[in-house]
Amino acid sequence: MSRILRVRRLGLLQIFCALLALPALAATARIYITNSAGDTISVIDPVTNKVVQVIKGIEVPHGVNFSRDGKLVFISNESESVLDVVDQKSGAITGRVPLSGHPNNIAVTKDGKQVVICIASAPGAIDIVDIATLKLAKTIPVRGPLHNVYVTPDGNYAVAGSVAAKRITVVDLKTLAPVWEVDLEGGVRPMTMDANADGSTHRIYVQISNYHGFVVVDFASHKEVARVKLPDGEFGKAEWRLGTPTHGIGVSPDGKTLWVNSILANAVFEYSLPDLKLMGHASLPLVERKGEAPSGAVPEWITFTPDNKTVYISNSASRSVSAIDTATLKQVAVIPVGEVPKRINTLVLP
Amino acid sequence: MCRWTAVLATAFLALILQAGSARLSAKPAPVAHPQSPAADSATPALDYEFFKARVEPIFLKKRPTHARCYVCHEEANHALKLAKLSPGNTTWTEEESRRNFAMVSALVTPGDPIGSTLLHHPLAPEAGGDAFHSGGRQFESQSDPDWMTLAEWVRGQKAK
Repeated sequence: MSRILRVRRLGLLQIFCALLALPALAATARIYITNSAGDTISVIDPVTNKVVQVIKGIEVPHGVNFSRDGKLVFISNESESVLDVVDQKSGAITGRVPLSGHPNNIAVTKDGKQVVICIASAPGAIDIVDIATLKLAKTIPVRGPLHNVYVTPDGNYAVAGSVAAKRITVVDLKTLAPVWEVDLEGGVRPMTMDANADGSTHRIYVQISNYHGFVVVDFASHKEVARVKLPDGEFGKAEWRLGTPTHGIGVSPDGKTLWVNSILANAVFEYSLPDLKLMGHASLPLVERKGEAPSGAVPEWITFTPDNKTVYISNSASRSVSAIDTATLKQVAVIPVGEVPKRINTLVLP
Repeated sequence: MCRWTAVLATAFLALILQAGSARLSAKPAPVAHPQSPAADSATPALDYEFFKARVEPIFLKKRPTHARCYVCHEEANHALKLAKLSPGNTTWTEEESRRNFAMVSALVTPGDPIGSTLLHHPLAPEAGGDAFHSGGRQFESQSDPDWMTLAEWVRGQKAK
């Protein structure tokens, strides 16, 4: 009898713990989307797939990233060439850091001490903002206006791309100086990276202008080592995006898969890592047009929930974000957001 | 019989001359949008004063939830390239407005609002606009008051 009671108590305890864990999971992640042709940033709760917060007052927001403690949200502001600092809980703008030029995308160093910002106005640069003081600490000259920047998985380098110069520049984050470059055939657009078993950076996966696929750059040799072409599609012409056939690429948090947006196929493709085998795809929403055939959603960016279960894609032409179940490749939600949603990022709350 | 031959010969000659004249005066055709109706038969002139008083302010206007046209199109690498405002100014100088007028005029087909890139591109696709504008759906419908002002200018409306 007492044994049965003990088993029942144990079962109840497990259920209680599971119930406690549910809201904890729900509270641990938020998906941030900058509405690039508007003045807002939409924040989605990935448990309900609803917009739970709208940050206002930032005209033409571009990149979005976070302090390590999750209390601050950093947003590059194209209309005023500043880095806006936002209180995560209230959504209020609490600081503005003037930058050396017109900013594009941003990243935060792994130690949480600096925001790294691409400067897109000529001649191009990387701005470093010190998070403790919220001041511009350094402007690193580079060869070409910059669009996107990332911190390598090991945290040692910043990797920045230039559309105009068709070049990747790698900066040592200890010395804050460029250490190597690689020139590609087309303008460098979004990138992502995977890691070796020891945590060092393995490869950079790069989307370039006028190529419907991605380029693979070996980090150790600094060389292009492969190209992977995506399956063809019929979109892109009406959307005037044939020169940018793909935009948005990301490695899942578990490092096992690579996800690649296609504007031409109006879809996202999943590849296995490290062997780069095509696993499948998910179609994205269509845009209805008066008197014309529907056009594509013009997918722009990718982010994931920390548990790898859902991938989120910003659809710039349809003012929405698609939530796709990574196991079934089914679109589980289309979430309305603001005007031309582009950069998208996941905040994992401590 | 001779009279009919003369009539036919005259008509044939007239057709030849007309075709030749059309070839001589041929200019690159403007890009026609799929839904563009035929432009007005008499091509109206674009009025500078109307442009300055009514059209230019639209480029600087902040519409709720939208970025201003000027923010993205200021000296930008786009078809619509607006003059940069002089430091401290909230509107364009006469010289800057003249430059804007020349540049924006190249993006319209006088008499044909929906066939004009200026009006077609930022109009919502659901309302007959382009599939995608990186500046978003600035005008949700052809009834938007600002869109209608742009259309008035393209139809040749003069400043009062």
